[in-house]
Amino acid sequence: MNHHDVVAQLIELVTPIAEGRVELIDENTGLTSELALDSLKVMDLVVAVEDQFDISVPINALAEIRTVGDFASLIQKCVGENA
Amino acid sequence: MNANPRLEAVRAVQQELATLGIDPFGVQIDRILSPVEGLIDGRHTILAGTNNYLGMTFNPDCIAAARNALETAGTGTTGSRMANGSYASHRELEHDLARFYGKRDAIVFSTGYQANLGMISALAGPGDTVLIDADSHASIYDGCRLGGANTIRFRHNDPADLAKRMRRLGAEAANALIVVEGVYSMLGDRAPLSEFVRVKQEFGAALLVDEAHSMGVLGDKGQGVVEETGVLADVEYVVGTFSKSLGNTGGFCVSDVEDLDVVRYASRPYVFTASLAPATIAATRQALRTLESAVDLRQRLRENAERLHSGLAALGFTLGAPVNAVVAVLVGDKLEALRFWDHLLKHGVYVNLMVPPATPGDVSLLRCSVSAAHTPAQIDAICAAFASWNGARA
Repeated sequence: MNHHDVVAQLIELVTPIAEGRVELIDENTGLTSELALDSLKVMDLVVAVEDQFDISVPINALAEIRTVGDFASLIQKCVGENA
Repeated sequence: MNANPRLEAVRAVQQELATLGIDPFGVQIDRILSPVEGLIDGRHTILAGTNNYLGMTFNPDCIAAARNALETAGTGTTGSRMANGSYASHRELEHDLARFYGKRDAIVFSTGYQANLGMISALAGPGDTVLIDADSHASIYDGCRLGGANTIRFRHNDPADLAKRMRRLGAEAANALIVVEGVYSMLGDRAPLSEFVRVKQEFGAALLVDEAHSMGVLGDKGQGVVEETGVLADVEYVVGTFSKSLGNTGGFCVSDVEDLDVVRYASRPYVFTASLAPATIAATRQALRTLESAVDLRQRLRENAERLHSGLAALGFTLGAPVNAVVAVLVGDKLEALRFWDHLLKHGVYVNLMVPPATPGDVSLLRCSVSAAHTPAQIDAICAAFASWNGARA
């Protein structure tokens, strides 16, 4: 699964959680800085991602995540470890 | 001097509350009258948010034991056990706890928070994996952070979701640590421990159960959900606190694991904290003796919990869990919960206001903790105060 595909799927997952705060979400959109996801919303997103990609995302790895692209890279890493 | 900018968001919330003239997080009990009564703003108030499940704080035997220790061993230990030495009574309390649970050994910590922090951070470090229930207490999350282990959340009280995540770990699963609570403090719901034990055994992992809100409350002997569900022998680590049913402060872990003693050397919250004061140890030892034979207190607690639970349910409130010592009333939104909480206080009833993110999901709660020391009349008065609220039921 390439980075572009993961980003596309992630945008689909984050869009309803972001409740229309940003018109066009892309790889560089900030999850907390622009989409204003609080800690509960971030956890909702993590659960949705885990179900979609059949992975477990360690919460300690979330500290470094700033953008949609960062999260997509983490997902790719988790998918790779799972493979 | 300029205010710290990192606290800006918190300050905004505090100011919002000040505008409403309600401060649920700054309640001052001017005088404590009994385990379940106090004076707040000059008003006689029933305390229904104390976690004082057995009413042990005013137990005459515990007070006498504390007084004697205070007079013979002084006010404090002034240092940590590793650096400054243990008092014999620290070790005696550990022996008491190990015997109470029928376990090989015990370690005592200076608070319940530190018991989770100290155990989890010592047992799982970088490269290890801890799997925790999504609704875990902050002390469990913080223990994982302090240790630096990979931390994976599973869905609340969902053994199948845990098993799925264990499977994903492959060979690593056998070295993983699973952490759950016996009773969850916000809603008062119990963990399906037997099923969690089955998952643990399937993968060969270790299980730590925090019984903070169930020790003294559940099980014939008061050992908690591990006793109630018959899995005590299958749980590697049972963690608990002295600050609820034992009416004091401190925490512990009991275990059959052979090298539990080594944790003392690897646990920063154990090594770098002043040890429990002699009076605290003496009162806790006495409270544990009382708790062991407190069948009548547990019976009264159960009756009070049933009375409050059924009373509030009959009023049409939505409650968080089946009958337990924690009775949580689900309230619509945060502002509604805030006003409701203030209404109760002005009607002489103190409960805990719990709002996200401290609560599961987006729900706000008015959390009551029932005590064996409540009289049926006080339970009825709590229900009457809830009934006098004219706002919406959740």
